[in-house]
Order: sequence, then C-alpha cells, then structure tokens
Amino acid sequence: MGSELYAYALLAFPFLSATAIAFLFRRNGLVASGVSVAAAALILATALHIIFRLENFEFNVHWIELGSFSVSFGFLINDLAKLMLFVVAFVGFLVHIFSLGYMKDDPNKARFFGGLSIFMFSMLGLVMASSLVTLFVFWELVGFSSYMLIGFYLGKSSAAAASKKAFIVNRVGDFGFLIGIIMVFSMFGTFNLTSLSEIFSGDTSLLQTASVTAVGLFLFCGTVGKSGQLPLHVWLPDAMEGPTPVSALIHAATMVAAGVFLLCRTGFLMTVDALTVIVWVGVLTALVSGFTAIAQRDIKKILAYSTVSQLGYMVAAFGLGSLVALSGSGWHEHAIVTGGVAASMFHLTTHAFFKALLFLGSGSIIHACHHEQDIFKMGGLAKKMPITFWTFTLALLALIGTPFITAGFYSKDAILALAYQQDKVVFSALVFGALLTAFYMTRLWKIAFFGSPKSEGADHAHENGLVMTIPLMLLSIGSILGGFVWFYPEVLRPIIIIGEHLAHGENHTTVALFGGAAWAIGLVVAWTLYGAGAKEDRLERTVKPLHTLFAQKFYFDHLYDWYVAKIQQRIALTLHFIEQIVLSGLIVRGLAGITGLMGIGLRSLHVGNIHTYVYWFVGGLVIFWALTVGIF
Amino acid sequence: MDDFASLVQFSIAVPIVAAFLTLFVKSWGRPAVQIVSVTGFALPVIFALFLWGFYDPSTPGGYAFVSNLDTGLEMIGVGLHLGLNGVSLPLFVMASVVGLAAGLFAAQSKAENLSRYLFCLLIMQGGLMGVFASIDILFFYFFHELALIPTFIMVGIWGGRDRNYAAMKMTIYLTMGAMLSLVGLIAIYVKSGAESFDLITLKAHLAEMPLADSVQKYAFGLLLFGFGILVSLWPLHTWAPLGYGAAPSSAAMLHAGVLKKFGLYGLVQVAIPLLPDGMGYWDNWIVWLALGNILVVGLIAMAQRDLKQMIGYSSVMHMGYAFLGIAAMSVLGVGGVVLMMVAHGLTVALLFMLSTMVHHRTQTFEMSEMGGLAKKAPVLAAFFVCAMMASIGLPGPGLANFWGEISIFLAVYDFRNWLVYAVVAGIVISAIYGLRAIASVFYGEETDEFIESQKEVPVEDMSWAERVPVLILIIVMFFIGFFPKTVTESINDALESEPVYAQVEE
Repeated sequence: MGSELYAYALLAFPFLSATAIAFLFRRNGLVASGVSVAAAALILATALHIIFRLENFEFNVHWIELGSFSVSFGFLINDLAKLMLFVVAFVGFLVHIFSLGYMKDDPNKARFFGGLSIFMFSMLGLVMASSLVTLFVFWELVGFSSYMLIGFYLGKSSAAAASKKAFIVNRVGDFGFLIGIIMVFSMFGTFNLTSLSEIFSGDTSLLQTASVTAVGLFLFCGTVGKSGQLPLHVWLPDAMEGPTPVSALIHAATMVAAGVFLLCRTGFLMTVDALTVIVWVGVLTALVSGFTAIAQRDIKKILAYSTVSQLGYMVAAFGLGSLVALSGSGWHEHAIVTGGVAASMFHLTTHAFFKALLFLGSGSIIHACHHEQDIFKMGGLAKKMPITFWTFTLALLALIGTPFITAGFYSKDAILALAYQQDKVVFSALVFGALLTAFYMTRLWKIAFFGSPKSEGADHAHENGLVMTIPLMLLSIGSILGGFVWFYPEVLRPIIIIGEHLAHGENHTTVALFGGAAWAIGLVVAWTLYGAGAKEDRLERTVKPLHTLFAQKFYFDHLYDWYVAKIQQRIALTLHFIEQIVLSGLIVRGLAGITGLMGIGLRSLHVGNIHTYVYWFVGGLVIFWALTVGIF
Repeated sequence: MDDFASLVQFSIAVPIVAAFLTLFVKSWGRPAVQIVSVTGFALPVIFALFLWGFYDPSTPGGYAFVSNLDTGLEMIGVGLHLGLNGVSLPLFVMASVVGLAAGLFAAQSKAENLSRYLFCLLIMQGGLMGVFASIDILFFYFFHELALIPTFIMVGIWGGRDRNYAAMKMTIYLTMGAMLSLVGLIAIYVKSGAESFDLITLKAHLAEMPLADSVQKYAFGLLLFGFGILVSLWPLHTWAPLGYGAAPSSAAMLHAGVLKKFGLYGLVQVAIPLLPDGMGYWDNWIVWLALGNILVVGLIAMAQRDLKQMIGYSSVMHMGYAFLGIAAMSVLGVGGVVLMMVAHGLTVALLFMLSTMVHHRTQTFEMSEMGGLAKKAPVLAAFFVCAMMASIGLPGPGLANFWGEISIFLAVYDFRNWLVYAVVAGIVISAIYGLRAIASVFYGEETDEFIESQKEVPVEDMSWAERVPVLILIIVMFFIGFFPKTVTESINDALESEPVYAQVEE
C-alpha cells in the first residue's frame, strides 16, 4: 500500500466527520462530539503511523493545468512535516477531549465540533502540502475555520467583530503571500517546494539577488498575518472571543504557528537582507506584545499577547538561525535543516505544549468561575482547583523559561544563543523580552491563584472533571520534558537535536546566565510588586502614562479604527457619491437631457406652419452661403 | 452531422417550447405551470451534462456536436450553425445549471401572474443556451437579444424598488452596448469579404488575409466598448447594481450569472480571434478601466447598505479581473477568465438567490436593519457564508473562483508586472465588504427593525424547496473546484489551438 494513502486518510477522517456533522448530526450535539473526537483519535493514530512507520516521501498528482500554469495536489512528508504533524495531531486530540467537558452544556455543540473537524482537515493539509499553491489553499481554509470558530457565539457583537477582523487582517497578509507565490512562479516556473529548493541549492548566486529578497519578504507577509507579527498582530488578541479550547488549539498551539512553519518550508529562498528584516520584525513583535501583556486584566488577553510575543521569538529564531547558517559559521552538516528551522521549530514544539496547557488551564478556570475572565476578580484558586493550579504552574514555569527543569528554558536558550552569536543588540532585546515574560506571568499567577476570592464566581469555583484535567496533565509532561532530546522518539529527533545543540553551544554559560538573570529579575519584581490576590494593578498608580500606553496596546487598534472609519470608509462613500451624482446624475441624465432638448428643438421644426418652414429654409440658406464663402 | 447535435438544438428549443406551454396550461392551475416550466429548465441540464460527458477534448479547437440548419438567409451568409467547443461547453453547462436553479426558485415564488413570469424566464433561458451554442455570430447576437428583452420586461413588471427607472436605464445601456457590438460584428462581415457570418469560415478567411490594421483597430474598439457596456466595464457599469437591485431574483440570477458573460465570451471567442491585432491598440484602455472596476467599484461596494446592490457591485468588481485576464492574451489569462466566468456565474446566482431568501425573512434589503439572523435561520446562514466565501475566492467553497483568479493574476503579472499589486489588492477589498455583509446580516444582536418585522412575519429556516436550488449550485461549485481538470482540459485545448492565444505562450 502506498504511503500516500495514509496521508489521504489523514485528510479523509476530519473531512468526513465535518460533512457528517453538517448534514446528519447538526442537531445532535452528543453524536457530533463523538464523531469529531473519534476522527481526532483516528488522526492521531494515522499521524503516528506516518511518523514512525513510514519513510519520508513525496507524492504528487496533477490537479489543474492551464497554459503554463500547472498545480499538483500533493504531500511532502519530511522531518519538518513529521514534527509538525505530531504537534498538530497530539495537541488537537487533547483539545478535542478537553472540549467534551468544556462544551458539555453548549446548545451549539455540534457546530463547535464540526468547526474543529474542518480545522483539523485544513491544518493537516497545510502541514503536508507539497506546493506553495496547495499550501495556500489550506492556509486560507485554516483562516476560514478560525473565522468560523472565533464567531462561534453568534449573538455577541464583539465576537462578530473579532471574527471579521481576524479574517480581514489575515487577508492583508495573504495579499503579500499571494504576490510572493505569483513571483515565484514567474521566476522559476514551479510551485513545488522540492523543485524550488533544488533550484536554489543548484544555484547559490540566486540568494544574492534583490528579486529573491522581494520574493522572500512577500512570502513572509503571509507569516506576518497568520502568526500575528507586527503590525498585523491586532487580530490575535481579539480572536480570544472564541471558545477557550479554540484559543488553545488554533490561536496558540497550531494555526498561528503555521506562519513559522511556512518560513521553515521556504527557508531555502531567504536572502540575508530578507532574514534581517524577519529578525527585526520578530524582535519588535516580541517586545511590543510583551509590554502590552503587562497591563492586561483579562486572563485570555494576557495569554494571547504572550502568544504573540513567543511567536515573535520563533520568527526571530528562524531569521537568526538561517543567518548563522548562511554566514557559514554554524551547522552546515545539516544541509536540509538549518539552524533557523531547528531553533524555531524547537520553540514551536515546546510552546505548543505549554501554551495549549495554559489556555486549557485558563479555560478550566473560566469554566469554573462562571465565565469570569478578569484576573483581578479571581484569587484563591490554588486551593479550589489543585490540578488546574499545578498543571498551570508547570506550564507557566516553562513559558518563563525556568532554568534547567523546563522545556521552555532549553528552547528559549537556543534562540538566545543564536542571537548572542549573530547580533548583541538583538540578544539584549530578546533577553529583556524574557524578563517581561517572567514578569507578566508571575503577575497573573499570583493575582489569580493566591489570596482570597474577589468575585462570586471565583468563590464558587471547584475543580473540573477528569475529561478536562487529564489533557492538562498530559500536556504538563510535555511542558517539562519537551526540552530534552531523549523525550522525543527517534524519528522526531533530527530537528530537536540541532535545537538542543544550539542551546549547548560554545557561549552556553554566558547565554544561560543572562537568560537565568532575566527570569529571576522578572519573577522577583512581579512577586514583590503584586500582593497575593491583589484587587488592583499597582503599576497603574505608579507609572500611569506608561501603563496607559501598554493597556491601550500601543494604540494600534486606535490607529486602524481611525484609518478604517476616517479614511477608507470616507473614500468609499465619496466614490459612491461621485458615482451617484456625476456618473448617473449628470452624465447619464445629462445625455438623456440633451436628447430631450433635441427632441424639443426638432419638434419645433415640425410645427406644420408654412411660414415657419420658410424661415427655417431661409435661415439654412444663409448658413449654407456663409459656410461656402468662408465667413465661419 | 454529429451524433448528438440534436441535443444541442433541443437544449435551446425545449425552454422555448416550455415557455409557450406554460401559457397554455395556465388554466390547469399552478402545479401544472410549475411542472411544465421546471421540466423546461431541467431537460437542458440533462442534455448539457450528457454532452459534457461525451465531449472529446481532442477535437482540435474545432467544434463538436455541429449542426447546420437552413434559415433561408444563406445568400447573405447567415445560417443557424450550432456547435460547442472547449470554451463554450463549460459555459453551456453552467448556463443550464444556473437556469435550473433560477427556474426552481422562480416556480415557487409568489410572483403575480406566475405563468407569464416563467414564460419570460424560459424564453431567456432558451436565448442563453443559444448564445453559447452559436457558431454563427449573427445568431450569437440574436440569441443574446432574445434573452435580453425578457430581462427588461421582468425588471419592469416584477421588479422591486425603482423598477421603472432601473428598467429604463438597463434598456438604454444594454441596447446601446448591443448596438455597438452589432455594428462591430457587421463591420467584420463587410470588411472581411468572406460573405459569411459563420465564425469558422470567418476565422479561416481572416487567417488567410487579415483585415487592415485600421479596420481591426476600429472594429475591435466597437466590440470592446459594446461588449464592455454589457459586461459593466467601468465607468459604463452603473446600470448593473441598479438593475440587479431592482430585478426579480431569478432574472438577476440569469442575467448576472449567465447573460452578462455574453460580452466576455464575445471578446474571447469572436473579437480577439478575428481581430488579433486589435487588442494592441486598446489594451491600455482595458487596463485602466478594469482597474476602475476592481479598485473604484470595489471601494464603492464597501459603501453599500443595500445587500442586493452590494452583490451587484461585487459582481461588477469581478468583471475587472476578467477584462485584465483577457488583456493578457495568453492561454493562462484567457483560460482563467473562462474558468472564472463559470465559477462566478454559479456564485453570483447563488448570492442573488440567497439574498432574496434573506429578504423573505427580514422584509428588507437594508443591512443596517438586519442582524442576528443566524440564530433563527442557521441553514440559511451556513449557505450564505459559503456563497460569500466562494464569491471572495476563498479556496474551499470558492476553490473554482480561486483557480480562475490565480490564473488571471499569474497572467497579469507576466503582462504588466506592476499591475498585479493593484489587482491582488482586490482580494482584501472583497473580503472587507463580504465579511461586513455577513456580520451585519447574520451575526450580532437583532436590530429593532428586525424584531419588529418578526412580529408580522415570523422567521423560519430554509424549507427543502428552497434548499434544492441552492444545493444544486453549491454541489456544482464544489465539484468544479475540486476537479478543475474536468473543465480546464477542454478550455486549454480550445485556446491552445487558437493562434492568437498560443503565440504569447512561449
């Protein structure tokens, strides 16, 4: 049996599940959830089979042909795709299980699980796609499923606005992505990733050209949109309007990381100039969203900005690692997997574990607190929800990079090591970002879990059932052990091992020292600044202007709202007005008017009065005479 | 004579015969009228699908299922010459499918004088099938007029708001466009000296001795602007949103979905192959005017508050892509246009039908007076989202539209590099107005107006009678998207055999 059948199966399970739910079990939430979870289980099993039993392979079948344009539908399963498949299938399955509990009483459960299946279908297709166009097709589809799930709570206007925003902002990124794809085809005549990488490895001078830099940056636009990089990050925090399991799966662990995955897939065509831009976009994103997270009150918003910030790390890691590889001072023995791919994918993997866990944990809290999301109205949850507390804490320790014992430490360390080698300014910025991370997570932790409850919801909170806590426990294992190579099965190691190698590079001690210091400072400052279960934010009183800047998210949303309302909409209305008045009013009616006037004029010629005809005749003769003798 | 040539003739004749039958069976009551008319719409679909199945893509650029009927006008070179090639076949199938959906929807409408309404619609359908099956360009024109006149009547009698003004404006514009193109066609006939309106004869004749450049220039200009008006080329488009806004939905479906493609089809199959050097004089015009379609009309679509007018503007906007694809004059660009014509026909018909279904529930087309409809009518919401996503070219429901668009984008990039930035910006613009519409109609809280109207007309979800025509269009849409080769192979072969398109392809 051909390997591709398993890949097809991977797409078929969620597709059939979504179709069945849409047409048969729309009203039956129980069956729908069962079908969807069964599909997720089959996906996990099939993905594991592909990862462990099958060699890397590529499979293509002609999809469409028109003139010179030819696209194949196909799968490209290599080490990178296998690692990503593992993350998607594993986290996806756990989120499905968790959702069984979280969405238990929702009347629209069927729609939710149908949406999850559509998402799994699209995401798996994206991961396996062998050509840029196929990847783009699934890329748009994950965007659609994300749109559908963000707007899940139909009656809420804020959810409607958030889903719309997510889709449109992503489309802005896709504008560049699509242009990049068009340029690639025009320059190289193929969309196939393998053929493209062969072209580039065959002709290294290509990486010196400005047009290739342009291609790289246009493709990167896709990442900027999907992975919430500056300045298109604004949709991701708003996307938290969706149900929390969706935030965990789509807006933390997998879909938003697809942008980083895209970079890794197309890493071979990134020039030095493009990579430098990529690094700086990543660094700025990491810092700006880190600052923003400091001043948020909504637990999901804090986590969302933290996600944006960590995605910035991954993007920067990709750029740094590739730069190091290009400059020749690094890991050339691994021709396919460069340092950039390794460092960013390593962090992507560990982040998927601990961020999904943090979101599911916050979901568990929100569920228990009757949909209270303000951390200043929680407090004292550590005692009421012990499993949630402990698993959340483990994930939190991983996120802030607690030295030596957590996965986040190693993956972040690898990034810092690359930065140290490449650019000291970037290094200091990223270390400072790590400090911010430690700060805002400690703040969240102390305020929400300790002290006494500050709202009725928090007071009545109690631990959720096993359906919700078992996924938490499983993910916490990954959050801690995911930093060690031996945790991963043999087949997944090729990428992780380079990531590890980076973390244990020559400057290891210095880098770890700086990272550890950032961790300690952030933690201690936040710990002393915020009393257990504080009722209000002390930062707000002490550094008011700065706090406002952070709480208002650096005014990005204001800027965009202003642009949409004051510029875009006004142009649209003006054009509409001009069209109504000038085009249909003056010109068209004007023409009709002229015709009408001519009608009146001509009618007066036919008055039936013999004298009038004589006058016209004489007048005409005069004009004729004047014309012939040249008076006019 | 081809084996199945008679099926082509039947596809045109059946709706017309059914049209007259509806008038006769009127006295037997509503069901009889419905059965006769739906049969009149359904049989062409069966015939068309059958022809599609038996079409041999290897017929080299030539026509299959050819028949030649006497008209008595042979001395001036006019004959009822029917047949289908790789370009016209997909459109022929699409026309039949959209016709069936529109017919099914019309048959259950509450229109006064249902039998006359269906009569007009069936005549229109006969004309549409004829347009794409004609090899004789005079009959090509004739069938277009045959379909156009019932449109005016339907807008004038069964139209909504502003129907008189809309009908008048549509008539003026479209007659003007049709006249210009007729003059262009006759100019080709006269100047070629081929003494025939037959497209194949003309092509062969002109390949031997092409027309002088000046003739090509002016004849092409006439056809371009004549067809351009019919396809709503900016700024000659203002009839379209107004007309579609006022037209009864089945008429809007057939006109926007199918009949409007007459102009594009004329450029692709007639104007450019017969006047290959004409485009060189006009391509800058097309570029700038089509940019007007995409950017200016796209922005205007954002300013719309009336759902149906917004869809009208969006369909005008998409025509900009089509003009640019044609201007690129390559198999890729023109093939993309044909593919997009098929996809767009299905999508826009779907959107017009669904927006009328929304209207049945909200009693208004004003988007600011709707809201929260998804809770009351989830199935309608799902279909509408699907259709809107298809319209904005989202792969998935709109995979077919996406294939058309990306082919056009690629061709445009090779044609004029810089143009692609402006053109691709269209995907952002369309996302903005499309999603705004979804959000304001279906999401959020119910508006006061909507709550008020529900007291009089309680909202129910879609009935099966409503779902069937929608499903027909959606299934075909998905099928073409997932299996684009079923369509593109024949398009590709037909265009490759056309020297004017193939030569650009190096």
